[in-house]
Amino acid sequence: MSFVPKTAAYSGKINAVTLGTGDKAIVIGGQNVLPFYTFDAPIENAPKIGVEISDAADSWTAPGLVEFYAGCTTMADRAKKAATMEGADFIALNFESADPNGANRSVADCVADAKAVADAIDLPIVIMGCKNMEKDGELFAKISEALQGKNIAVMSARNEDYKTVGASVALAYGQKVGAETADDINLAKQLNIMLKGLSIAPENIVMNIGTAAVGYGYEYVASTLDRIRLAALAQSDADLQMPIIAPVSTDTWSVKESTASEEDEPAWGNQEERAIGMEVSTAAANLTGGADAVIMRHPVAIATIKKFITELV
Amino acid sequence: MALKGLDIFKLSPKKNCKECGSPTCMAFCMKVAQGAVSIDKCPYFSEDAKASLNEATAPAMKTITVGEHKLGGETVLFRHEKTLVNKNLYAVCICSECDADKKLADLQKIDYERIGERMYVEFVFVRNKGNDPAAYAALVEKAVATGRDIILECWDVDCAKAALAVAGKNVILDGATPSNWEAMNALATEAGVTLGVWAENISDLYDTVKNLEAAGNKNLVLDVTGATAKETLANAVLVRRTAIKDGDRSFGYPSIVNVAKLAKGDAHLQTAYASMFTEKYASIIVMENMTYAQALPLYGLRQNIYTDPQKPMKVEAKIYPLNGADENSPCALTVDFALTYFLVSGELERSNQPVNLIITDASGMSVLTAWAAGKLSSSTVKKTFEELDIENKIKNRTLIIPGKVAVMKGEIQEKLPNWNVVVGPLEAVQLPKYMKDKEYEAGVKAAEAERAAKATGPVEEVKELSFEELLQTRVPKIEVVDMGVKYKGYNPESKTFVTIGERIHCIAPAIRKAMDERDPAPILERAAAQIKAGATYLDVNIGPAEKDGPERMMWAVKLLQENFNNVPLALDTANMKAIEAGIKVYNRTNGKPIVNSADAGSRIGYIDLAAANDAICIALCSADGIAKDNAEREMHCDNMLERGLSLGMTSDDLWFDPLFLVVKGMQDKQMEVLEAIKMFSDKGLKSTGGLSNNSNGAPKNVRPIMDSALVAMCMMQGLTSAIVNPNDLRLMETIKSCDIFKNHVLYSDSYLDL
Repeated sequence: MSFVPKTAAYSGKINAVTLGTGDKAIVIGGQNVLPFYTFDAPIENAPKIGVEISDAADSWTAPGLVEFYAGCTTMADRAKKAATMEGADFIALNFESADPNGANRSVADCVADAKAVADAIDLPIVIMGCKNMEKDGELFAKISEALQGKNIAVMSARNEDYKTVGASVALAYGQKVGAETADDINLAKQLNIMLKGLSIAPENIVMNIGTAAVGYGYEYVASTLDRIRLAALAQSDADLQMPIIAPVSTDTWSVKESTASEEDEPAWGNQEERAIGMEVSTAAANLTGGADAVIMRHPVAIATIKKFITELV
Repeated sequence: MALKGLDIFKLSPKKNCKECGSPTCMAFCMKVAQGAVSIDKCPYFSEDAKASLNEATAPAMKTITVGEHKLGGETVLFRHEKTLVNKNLYAVCICSECDADKKLADLQKIDYERIGERMYVEFVFVRNKGNDPAAYAALVEKAVATGRDIILECWDVDCAKAALAVAGKNVILDGATPSNWEAMNALATEAGVTLGVWAENISDLYDTVKNLEAAGNKNLVLDVTGATAKETLANAVLVRRTAIKDGDRSFGYPSIVNVAKLAKGDAHLQTAYASMFTEKYASIIVMENMTYAQALPLYGLRQNIYTDPQKPMKVEAKIYPLNGADENSPCALTVDFALTYFLVSGELERSNQPVNLIITDASGMSVLTAWAAGKLSSSTVKKTFEELDIENKIKNRTLIIPGKVAVMKGEIQEKLPNWNVVVGPLEAVQLPKYMKDKEYEAGVKAAEAERAAKATGPVEEVKELSFEELLQTRVPKIEVVDMGVKYKGYNPESKTFVTIGERIHCIAPAIRKAMDERDPAPILERAAAQIKAGATYLDVNIGPAEKDGPERMMWAVKLLQENFNNVPLALDTANMKAIEAGIKVYNRTNGKPIVNSADAGSRIGYIDLAAANDAICIALCSADGIAKDNAEREMHCDNMLERGLSLGMTSDDLWFDPLFLVVKGMQDKQMEVLEAIKMFSDKGLKSTGGLSNNSNGAPKNVRPIMDSALVAMCMMQGLTSAIVNPNDLRLMETIKSCDIFKNHVLYSDSYLDL
């Protein structure tokens, strides 16, 4: 009696969501099996990688990043360079400097940057905010307006501000909206229901279900991903079938493993290698759990994850 | 894995001879499935059928032990379904073609502790590349010298023999293939070591395992490494899924994944693969090397994935110097719940101000929960300060405590007289500003002044007073106020459902304040509302009440009973003396006092307290954290029952609490709780619990609906009482209706008004 593997393709399916336009447009989602379970059914669209460009990128000190972006002074310069990166499927613009409790960059400056990037590259664009809801609300609306027709995704419609963000980003300007929750499957579902309640079509919604660097409470992310995917596929829960974009780099580059210098932790060895390790491991874990796209920073880490995806799909 | 009666019936003789005492074979099999009778009662069950039944009840996946390490033994595919049990281990690969000495030296450099766990490379994976037994044995000897356990990847019988002679006992011989399994099986069996099995494809792997099992060897691990990462993932998943989901034990063995082979020379890609196989079913991951750049993320991820989701993750209680803090930096204190720690330390780091974060042992609970449960108290803080020798290690005397437990300030100040205790912000997000603006300085000045004043003032004489003395001197006189409500009385013999009103609880700021100030009005108000709504008992939670527990409780008990016709009470506090004092003044006209509550862990002594004072005791079926399954709940239940009975209690005075779980977060555990209630009921025991916990976090308009549905299901299962909010009309009406259906109360058209 020899072994005949049982396959487990599901009737439920992750929504296929298109980002960007033209030749460089990408599709995330679309599969009806768990991540990389090609032995159950083919994976319709390979997971995608977004390259993070921050408006605070001047503070990035890792030698590999400094060298890669040498000579770049604006977000558009960096985005152009990032678009040449092996494995870059889209560009994620992180407007962290807009935070009123931080550098408090003006919305007009941010919009100008976004516009310049959109003019400089033809890769799809994803927008990350500064986590201040009031400022984000304005920022997201203005960028969505300025980039109308580019089919961008704007992360961070939260339980507290989904109405304003959803209405401006998706309804007024036809962009994709990202529903953001923090390791809470019940809220993730609820938020999707509410966004749909605003008459936003499901294929215009993506999710960010919460992030953490590995070692830092990542078990909550892992189990939320597992449970969301099982609900979406095995239970055909249409309110959880939105594809997931996981911002990885913002977490992994701020933990001690990545920030401690070699002088502080002599046994640990090269600091940049550690940061790459944290980014690679967290990205791989997210993709294994159910992320359809990851946002990353370091070219070496990105090339590694690109190879990882190619080998597995 | 539990077998269903019908599965057993399929194998039964189907004679209906009644010799077993059951009317039919079907009835007999149902009893066997429940464990009510032994299968041996049937003289006609064939040995083969019995063997396959035994096989069927064995766990789906074996636990294989190598040295001190346990591999496999998993019961679920995803950690949220229960928990993953045995973490994946790491090996570094050496062979004759690499610089083995350097690799062995390097792998030993990875050895550190992270949140109480030793992180190191557990195995050396020694690859055989030729057919020179002496050379291979020499290489193995080098590996053995590291003291790590050994995996021999060797398909050559002579080489394997030579290696086994020098490899010691803690060995996996990863050498069986479809062509050599017989010889390798003989070697491994003789040496008494675990045998690793590898085949070109999963079907051959399966057949080889079947052959080995038929030859009597079940001490196996499966090397599922394929030609590509894609194939390897398929193998790893299919092997595990076949074992756990389909119950095919021939794949119920731990697995080895060799990522060194899949991504030779690419350390980054190996990190990516190892991360994936940590989540997807490798028991041992073989790496080409292990550097800190790999170990830090991989061991961190492993620690996360293998954390028991039912147990809160704790960080070590110690001083964490942040932002370059030294002995002259201020201290901030919080609990050891990992999420709290990460949140608070993250915000403190964002402030860029040097600060010593002191983590105190609170059983992994969050600040307010720990406080309410008595796990965060001035005594526990003092204990931490003593154990960590903080007084000598740190010169700065500023101690910032969480704003949520501002109420503890005085007590901590008293226990740590040399410190200036300051109340910090309510939420962690406020910390960066609080630290940057040094908002604590005002508090420090005030505390210093207070201490100076005390130092010069007269020293208060501390003398422990008896309950009687306390009652005379410290308990204010009770004034009876007409609240327009009369407690109707309660007959403890009645079978009707007992509701314990939960609204007098110190976690509510209004009640906390009232208790502190001995202000009767807010307490009487809540009591009156609950009694009016039909509560049988009232719970009285006076908080941890470390300092003045006895007088507080005596006051609360007298206040409520004298005002409300001796309403029966559940006494609820982490201070046992306070409960004892409360019982001393308690009037039993309407039923015994309830001690709330004992558990099978650190609060087991509450059963003794209840027994000594002839009280009812709520017995929470958990020890440290939530019970992992109903087998554990039953074990706790039996232990506590035995303890109570041995102390002279009757079983009716122990009310077992399954611990109600919140739907938002533990939706898949709800049926288990219901089954636990049935288990109590089947034993003839009473039960209770904080039922409304199920709907925590749900919208206000939804909670009564969820609570009512659950209480009806629970009453069907035999629940006899619940700690509830009696002001929830829908819930109370549901309970009354269920009491009608259960025939506890005779029906009349106005039964709801009674």
